[in-house]
Amino acid sequence: MKYGLFLGCNVPAVRPDVERAIRLTMPRLGAELVDLEGSACCPAFGTFPSADETASLAISAWNFSIAEEKGVDLITECGSCYSSLRIARSKLLESEEKRKQVNKLLKPTGKKFQGTVKVRHLIDVLFNDIGPEKIRKSIKYPLENINAIVQYPCHTLFPSEIVGFDSPSGRPHMFQELVEALGASVQTYSRELQCCGGAGGFVKGSFANASEFAFKKLRAIKKETDAEFIVASCITCLQHLDRMQDELNKKNGNNACSLPVFDYNQILAVCMDFKPKEVASISTISRDEFIKRITKK
Amino acid sequence: MIDLTNINTKLWQEIMDNCGDIRKCFNCNTCVAGCPAAEGTPPLFIRNLVRKVLLGLEDELLDDETPWLCVTCSACEEMCPMGVHPFEVCLAIRRWQSKNDETYIPAATTEIFETGHTQAVGQAKDKRKEVGLEEVPPTIIKFPELLKKFQEMLRNTDIVRENDYMFKD
Ligand code: SF4
Ligand code: SF4
Ligand code: SF4
Ligand code: SF4
Repeated sequence: MKYGLFLGCNVPAVRPDVERAIRLTMPRLGAELVDLEGSACCPAFGTFPSADETASLAISAWNFSIAEEKGVDLITECGSCYSSLRIARSKLLESEEKRKQVNKLLKPTGKKFQGTVKVRHLIDVLFNDIGPEKIRKSIKYPLENINAIVQYPCHTLFPSEIVGFDSPSGRPHMFQELVEALGASVQTYSRELQCCGGAGGFVKGSFANASEFAFKKLRAIKKETDAEFIVASCITCLQHLDRMQDELNKKNGNNACSLPVFDYNQILAVCMDFKPKEVASISTISRDEFIKRITKK
Repeated sequence: MIDLTNINTKLWQEIMDNCGDIRKCFNCNTCVAGCPAAEGTPPLFIRNLVRKVLLGLEDELLDDETPWLCVTCSACEEMCPMGVHPFEVCLAIRRWQSKNDETYIPAATTEIFETGHTQAVGQAKDKRKEVGLEEVPPTIIKFPELLKKFQEMLRNTDIVRENDYMFKD
């Protein structure tokens, strides 16, 4: 199993500990990662896709051509990268005219879009190519008697005919099973499948409302579950649920909502006994106590 | 009363060239019911945007900033019973706005042009080193000659050609 690791922008710049966790855990599970040298932004929906579709598809095609040269599928952690690349690929495969336009733009660069490789999300690869059983056997510190909630990245659910791998899209189960493979119990709650609200322009354009939207989710978690931590698998969900708990605590003048938030590969890395300083060191809500409890160090 | 004296009867075609068939929208509100940004101020109501487009209310559409609140979650894409692709409509309206009023062009497009990224990937050296990674990741930021080709490619696109003063090496 060999995959091209598509980094995007946020993971390598803002949360490199997530990148480190992915680079350590995936090979441990038999998934070889190769670098996609020269890859750029996917591009994110709020950038070129909101200004010029052909330019946007050309940038995606640039990224695809790098993976095509190496003959590997791209894997991403970021939900937006995943969705943007999946949608771009489907548009390019559907329309010969669009393919022609982007290949004309790519030509002087020596690159070409052929449509020979796919885009996969880490949850998909972890569940379908590796499997919960193998993950269960790979860990040193199981999360016994610990309750979790998961944040399904909506970019991996909708629109299901383009991005979906879990089914049905309204009742996904793969991510939950991956967390259970680490020994934790996953609890569900009313707003489980609600978006975190952190992507796109909502936070920037309407901060108070976007915060309130996230608070509703956080309040539901606190009220309806005994969750001790949150697992995400999208850089934006990860950062947003972390930051919004801090905002909620500031508003309430207490620390009532302080659940550690981990990217899946981060908590997996901790359970595999990789150094927390490398794989889970950057966050707003502290994860140190929680990590100590797992590793008993 | 909606003032229909100053309408653009071709507006729906201009937008539709860029997305699905919006004529099928029957105003059912499904795209609003599950939309996070419908809780914004002012709220994003895709249903209303589709109305504006179909009625040809060009000036109103150009002044409407709500499409930029979309969180891109695509729940509406999944749920719309008529296959209107509301999220694609939202992006198509943004593109139409960017084309007709350059102040709508997201600043992040110029950042991508300059560095290939939306974040300061090349400036995270200490942070990356601390977690045991290469200081500069193997993306376009590490290969100046590739960035140059990337910029040459983008210089041939409409958006960069028509707004070249915004896009600098
Ligand atoms: S979606 Fe975000 S993180 Fe991913 S490549 Fe695009 S801008 Fe970067
Ligand atoms: S929950 Fe928010 S950040 Fe996460 S995938 Fe959905 S839109 Fe993106
Ligand atoms: S869900 Fe579809 S049909 Fe219903 S109002 Fe929205 S766009 Fe129109
Ligand atoms: S994709 Fe945008 S418009 Fe559609 S439900 Fe999500 S936030 Fe609302």
